[in-house]
Amino acid sequence: MRAEPEDPQRPQMSLPVAGPHTGAAPAAAGETVADPDVAVMLRLQAGDEAAFQELFRKFSPRILQYTRRFVGSEARAEELTQDVFVQVFRFRHRYQPQSRLATWVFTIATNLCLNELRRPERQLRVDLWDDERPEGPSLPDPQALTAEEGASSRELARRLETEIAALPSKQRAALLLSRLDGLAYEDVGQALGCSEGAVKALIFRATQSLKRTLAEYL
Amino acid sequence: MRCGPAQRLMVAAVDRELAAREQEALDRHLATCAPCQREMAATGSLLTALESLPLDAPVSVSLEQAMLRRVRQEGDEGAVRRRWWASPMAPVLALAATVVLALSVALLRNAGETPARVAAKAAARTGERVARVPAAPAVPAPATAVARAGHPQQSARSELPLDPPPALAAAPELFMDLPILRHLEKLEHFEAIRTTTLDQPPAADERPDEQG
Repeated sequence: MRAEPEDPQRPQMSLPVAGPHTGAAPAAAGETVADPDVAVMLRLQAGDEAAFQELFRKFSPRILQYTRRFVGSEARAEELTQDVFVQVFRFRHRYQPQSRLATWVFTIATNLCLNELRRPERQLRVDLWDDERPEGPSLPDPQALTAEEGASSRELARRLETEIAALPSKQRAALLLSRLDGLAYEDVGQALGCSEGAVKALIFRATQSLKRTLAEYL
Repeated sequence: MRCGPAQRLMVAAVDRELAAREQEALDRHLATCAPCQREMAATGSLLTALESLPLDAPVSVSLEQAMLRRVRQEGDEGAVRRRWWASPMAPVLALAATVVLALSVALLRNAGETPARVAAKAAARTGERVARVPAAPAVPAPATAVARAGHPQQSARSELPLDPPPALAAAPELFMDLPILRHLEKLEHFEAIRTTTLDQPPAADERPDEQG
């Protein structure tokens, strides 16, 4: 993948948001589809330490949130986030620019989280989504018209986080990667080591389960 | 279309990713199936709620610093490993070690010694020499000076350097733990290797000065 030269006038491309999940939008005729993260990664491979810090600051908030939801423990999520970026650095020369960097980083994070869940000494998950936590889930709907709507949305968000944490690990990973982190099904399949069809099946089962447990809120 | 396949299409329908044919089939089913209409509404609400969840978590400075410490430690360890392999002396010394080993095996087999016994003796001799050799640079001891006067072969042996050659001393990380390499300098004294051991003086009929 060819990286375009940096242009200060060009808006920063942010991490992918939830949206179409069947793959990247086709490029317009003559337009080069470039992942700016790839350019940063190539700089890191060339020995630019500042590039690594750039990557960390860009991806770590998303990765930390992902690992928190995956393993359900704040402390362990921070350790896993460190592990993710140590692996990114250690294996930086294995990254191939043909794949999106977000996919590669989330693949590492998913593997580490799945390994974490397989550890026999793992304790029961701590409920992260306690309302008493000061950094609990923020009000998901800032446009709520009434206080009741706001409270209802907050309660739904809290229950949703709890129920996501209760999903089987692969369903959880597929749901988080595709619906929250915006990876295409193909990329989710790459991260989980399964086919696109299997990813759709995982997401279907996850959504069916969530609809059942959250029926009163939906 | 039945309810099962219709429900499997609902997530893609909310994302507007269905092919035209599938969308038409789903629409026809929803027009006549109230439970699936409720399922479709619930799917839309669920996906909206999911997309409203916060995407990022705040990353503390301590987390970043802890990660950077680990990465720097990884980098330092990797640099040491790379230096080992990248050293220009590494292939030279590896070749020298191979030659030395091959020669020693050949010579000692001729002398009736097995390589294992030689290595064991060399290790034992090295242990003794370490106990005997002082920390200061090697200097002939008075006893060896007397021996030098009485026996030229022993004198030559006592003047052999006790420290490794400069090339190895300059790169200790390349110094492989082979007993034969501790006596690399003795390659300069083939006569000594062939005719003597460190423990025994050469036999009288094998002394070079008596062989004409």
